[in-house]
Amino acid sequence: MQRAPDAPLPYNLEQSSVPAREIEKNRFRVARGDEVIGRLGVIKLEKGDTLPDVARHFSLGVTAISAANPGVDIWVPKAGEQVVLPLRFLLPDAPRKGIVVNLATMRLFHYKEDKNALVVTTYPVGIGTKERPTPMGQMFVQRKVSRPTWYVPASIAEDHRKKGDPLPAKVPPGPLNPLGECALYLNKPSYLIHGTNKPASIGLNASNGCLRLYPENVKMLYDDTPLKTPVVIVNQPYLVGQDNGVLYLEAHKPQEGTGALELEKIYAKLKAMEKKGVRSLDWKKISEVQAEARGIPVPIEMGQGDGKEAEKPVAVEHPAKLYGKPEVPELRPDAWYVLAAKTKDETEALRLAAIINHQGPPIPALVLSKSEGHRVLVGPFDSSIAAKEAARRLKIDLEIDGIVIEPDKKI
Amino acid sequence: MGKRLSIIAIGLAFAALTGCATTGELEKVQSQQQLDSAKADQAVRDAQAAKAAADAAKLQADAAAARVENAIKLAEEREKAAAEREKAADEKAAKAEAIFQRSMRK
Repeated sequence: MQRAPDAPLPYNLEQSSVPAREIEKNRFRVARGDEVIGRLGVIKLEKGDTLPDVARHFSLGVTAISAANPGVDIWVPKAGEQVVLPLRFLLPDAPRKGIVVNLATMRLFHYKEDKNALVVTTYPVGIGTKERPTPMGQMFVQRKVSRPTWYVPASIAEDHRKKGDPLPAKVPPGPLNPLGECALYLNKPSYLIHGTNKPASIGLNASNGCLRLYPENVKMLYDDTPLKTPVVIVNQPYLVGQDNGVLYLEAHKPQEGTGALELEKIYAKLKAMEKKGVRSLDWKKISEVQAEARGIPVPIEMGQGDGKEAEKPVAVEHPAKLYGKPEVPELRPDAWYVLAAKTKDETEALRLAAIINHQGPPIPALVLSKSEGHRVLVGPFDSSIAAKEAARRLKIDLEIDGIVIEPDKKI
Repeated sequence: MGKRLSIIAIGLAFAALTGCATTGELEKVQSQQQLDSAKADQAVRDAQAAKAAADAAKLQADAAAARVENAIKLAEEREKAAAEREKAADEKAAKAEAIFQRSMRK
């Protein structure tokens, strides 16, 4: 069920809008006592946008942007629809030193001193799956490697062999290397903070326990992180903090199996705060915020009638081009293609084409609409070998039985 | 005997006199009766017409109710079909998303 494109968002916006490049998304100064950084933005989508594209441009993970915008189609949102950019963050409850990763929010915070001030740089991350979760605890950066080689772990080699996609023992740097361009090896063996050749996986539980960053983010982190930097990995789905006298709760969907315990902890913390008699909390609101789990800081005190006001989101202008957005290729009659699907449902065709376009490495795809339906074409390719390789990837990664189409054949 | 005859004569004369008045009234009564009868006939006709109109109106109302009933049924069927289509589309989208998320693993 989609929200109507013209339906108002439940926020009062600042009157003026800012260009996309001016909204702070990564680097923030943190004064002593600050618990909240950044500010919410709101952007109006254009035709052909997808939430993963908007997420990447604004340094957000795909789970974060879709949680903040329930009901908005991830792959085929409506043009004109307004979406919230959840760029306001409560800092995790952890020492403000080195790297802190919150698995529940799928976000990394890198604290550094800068001219006697504390600066935090924050990036979204992809984390481990339920079967192979990212370990928590205290670690440090043991070594750094630019253009790393990926030595395929036995468990992953076995998974691929079972899928009919055997991997070599090692993968050299390049587009097929899932570590991307830079890697920070942690002292816990086999766990890395690295880049990716699948940028759309940032903000998902998709790794084998490593932490993945967007290619443009990992380069910044790599350059900015000395060896021995401490790394603390926590899991805090419920965060409480205040800004400008206003108390906020930020709730995220907990990682599987951790919800009840974390909820108990945060309720105990809030009750203790209320018991001190300083604040009167709105428990109905707290329950709503926790249930909705939108990942956005929300004021939780009773009647904010003492002049304190929650900060308003800012309208952000749509950039001319979203960073990293895959180009939809032109149709070329002289090229090879793979027919991935035929359907009467245009949304289904557009969704499939977008999913194929966001594979890593990218696979170009487009929708060819005719009166009798919509075709999802993968290509163009200059050779049958390239087309057949794309068909193989479609089958292995997306369970699609594609048909290879020769040049000039009617499609 | 003479007295009896005179009484009879007076009676006849009175009867003749009053007999004239009775005929006028009779005509009046008859006319009234005719008028009443015509009115009654008209009332019957009116009642019949009203009944026919009421019957026609009932038929029309019944037909309209049947049409509305049918329209409601069709709308319900359309809504059900749309809900089923939406559910199927949601399921397809969820399946596509699950496959996408698996494809993002190494």
